[in-house]
Amino acid sequence: MVWLTWRQFRWQAGAAAALLAVVAIVLGVTGPGLVTRYDQIGLPSCHTACTALASQYINELEFTTYGKLFYAGLVVMYLVPALIGIFWGAPLISRELETGTFRLAWNQSVTRTRWTLGKLSLIGLASVATAGLLSLAISWWASPIDHALSYGQSGSHFLRLSPLVFGARGVAPLGYAVFAFALGVTAGVLIRRAVPAMAVTLVVFAAVQILMATLVQPHLIPPVQTTAPFNASTANEVVITSSGSGPLTMILKGNFSMPGAWILSNQTIAPSGRVFDGPPGRACTANLPQQDCNNWLNSLHLRQLISYQPASRFWPLQFAETGVYLVLAAGLGALCTWQIRRRRA
Amino acid sequence: MIWLSWRQFRVQAVVAGAALVVVAIALLATGPHLASLFDSNGLPTCRTTCSADASNFINQLKGSATELIFYGSTFLLYAVPGLIGIFWGAPLVARELESGTFRLAWNQSVPRARWIAVKLGLVGLAAMATTGLLSLMTSWWASPIYHAAQKAGPNSLSIVDKIAPPLFGATGIAPVGYAAFAFALGVTAGVLIRRTIPAMAVTLVIFAAVQVVMPLLIQPHLIPPVQLTAPFNANTANEIMVDSRGSGPPTMTVVGNLSKPGAWTLSNQTITPSGKVFAGPAASACTSNSAPPQACNNWLNTLHLRQLISYQPASRYWPMQWLELAIYLVLAASLSLLCIWQVRRRRG
Repeated sequence: MVWLTWRQFRWQAGAAAALLAVVAIVLGVTGPGLVTRYDQIGLPSCHTACTALASQYINELEFTTYGKLFYAGLVVMYLVPALIGIFWGAPLISRELETGTFRLAWNQSVTRTRWTLGKLSLIGLASVATAGLLSLAISWWASPIDHALSYGQSGSHFLRLSPLVFGARGVAPLGYAVFAFALGVTAGVLIRRAVPAMAVTLVVFAAVQILMATLVQPHLIPPVQTTAPFNASTANEVVITSSGSGPLTMILKGNFSMPGAWILSNQTIAPSGRVFDGPPGRACTANLPQQDCNNWLNSLHLRQLISYQPASRFWPLQFAETGVYLVLAAGLGALCTWQIRRRRA
Repeated sequence: MIWLSWRQFRVQAVVAGAALVVVAIALLATGPHLASLFDSNGLPTCRTTCSADASNFINQLKGSATELIFYGSTFLLYAVPGLIGIFWGAPLVARELESGTFRLAWNQSVPRARWIAVKLGLVGLAAMATTGLLSLMTSWWASPIYHAAQKAGPNSLSIVDKIAPPLFGATGIAPVGYAAFAFALGVTAGVLIRRTIPAMAVTLVIFAAVQVVMPLLIQPHLIPPVQLTAPFNANTANEIMVDSRGSGPPTMTVVGNLSKPGAWTLSNQTITPSGKVFAGPAASACTSNSAPPQACNNWLNTLHLRQLISYQPASRYWPMQWLELAIYLVLAASLSLLCIWQVRRRRG
């Protein structure tokens, strides 16, 4: 079974090896430059000026090749599991069904169950290895940038914990790759045609990724809730908006500084417990200095209710996410095996 | 031939239509909020405070869901041509060859050349229309952001410069050219490789390679960039960096300020009167801890350095878009002709 799987998987393995080689070369050539600049700017040994130094580091990189490679790394890490599902998973069984070669493959001395499990586990392992090596390489390359970002504002979309980057670091991509592969094989078994199975795999995988990132990831571990008094002078945002001809409303977001944390919600609530949304007093709508508005807001005794995931939870969240995807993949694998066993002919 | 093409293209057309509807709903749901945020910052009627208001507006979007949708739509406009090439282009002829149905299709009263030409034309037009609609929808949605970038003037964040990659290839009419090229590339790969899934993989790799090479090598020179020389003023410089880690005297890197809002800066070098790039060595005014920063600036200004800048001004956005579209359409047409020739000369 091992030889057979390899024989039918040669091309895909070669393509994966070529991709890994290209990525390794590009990252290997550019990586040391990032680390050098990180040391040079004084970040490893900073004490008080860390945030300013980190901002300077990020701003320097943002519009250079390094910034573009950072974004490219994110794109690659999200594309590779999808490509594994589409090109390794979907054609695996469906091509046999489409061309009729299943009649030969499933009437050998090797039982169907062993055939299926052998292929699933060997190519599944290859997926894990590919995604794992890529994630290792890209996380290593981006670690100076990730560290610098963690000093800065907690609201950036490019923090290691935020959904955009979280799925492209650590062990999460391994879970994605295995799940996408299992999804592809299942689609192939159920749809029995290769190209439609590839399209369905792509659509379902993309939908699952978006749903997980928006609905499930924030709650894998229940977030931390804190309350603090609202201080208008240090607030992040004090905005007065009007919806057409209706009453004016205010949107307030207090300052919250926990480096590297992923803020899920930052609401300003009135003493009554409801979210404060105005209406703005005269001190804010008349053409008076901002300080008058701030003083009026401070007199209202508002509080900030913040819900966040601290930076220290990165690895527990990673393992939880990977666990969820591995369980899903195992379920799909079992479904495939059952389906293949019960097919007639 | 039209009915036949439609009949074999139905499922892909329905999927494309459904995807466009989903994107339209997502953009419609969030577009008005973006527009009202634009208004609430006072941008439609600003006069003297435009720059600050616009920066305010763009900074408010950072960290919000709108920022994610902006990145997402940019990514989508690069992904959709690729998907069209893989799912519409590669299987078009390869499936017929793989399953043997070409023997039926190519022995009808319709000559082969007409068969392939009509299929290429109709599905190619559908590909361009899909991508064009997508580009139109996202441009409509993001127009407050681009208006604000224009009003921000010198304070504008270059991340929203339409003329530089990656936004250049994700806005306007360039994506239509990408779709046509990717589709033609897919069909060609299918005709030459004769197997569907390898053709899909090859299309993906080649299309990705072309999309990486074009912004790096070709796009900067679509129209010869503007070269500008200006005296270097250390007080307004973007970057003055001293590097004293080496064993020799400390070297310097200085980058002057370029105030060309919305332009795509290709190179910005500071050169000495002799014409070489200025690299130090740094004088004590810049290296010693006791000297104020102004002393370093003053010393730099005495050196009579000049800034040598090469850039594409923002006004060249549409000419460059048309040139990019033309290049990709020419490539698509050539690949289509190759396909037609190859299909005609196959035996059997």
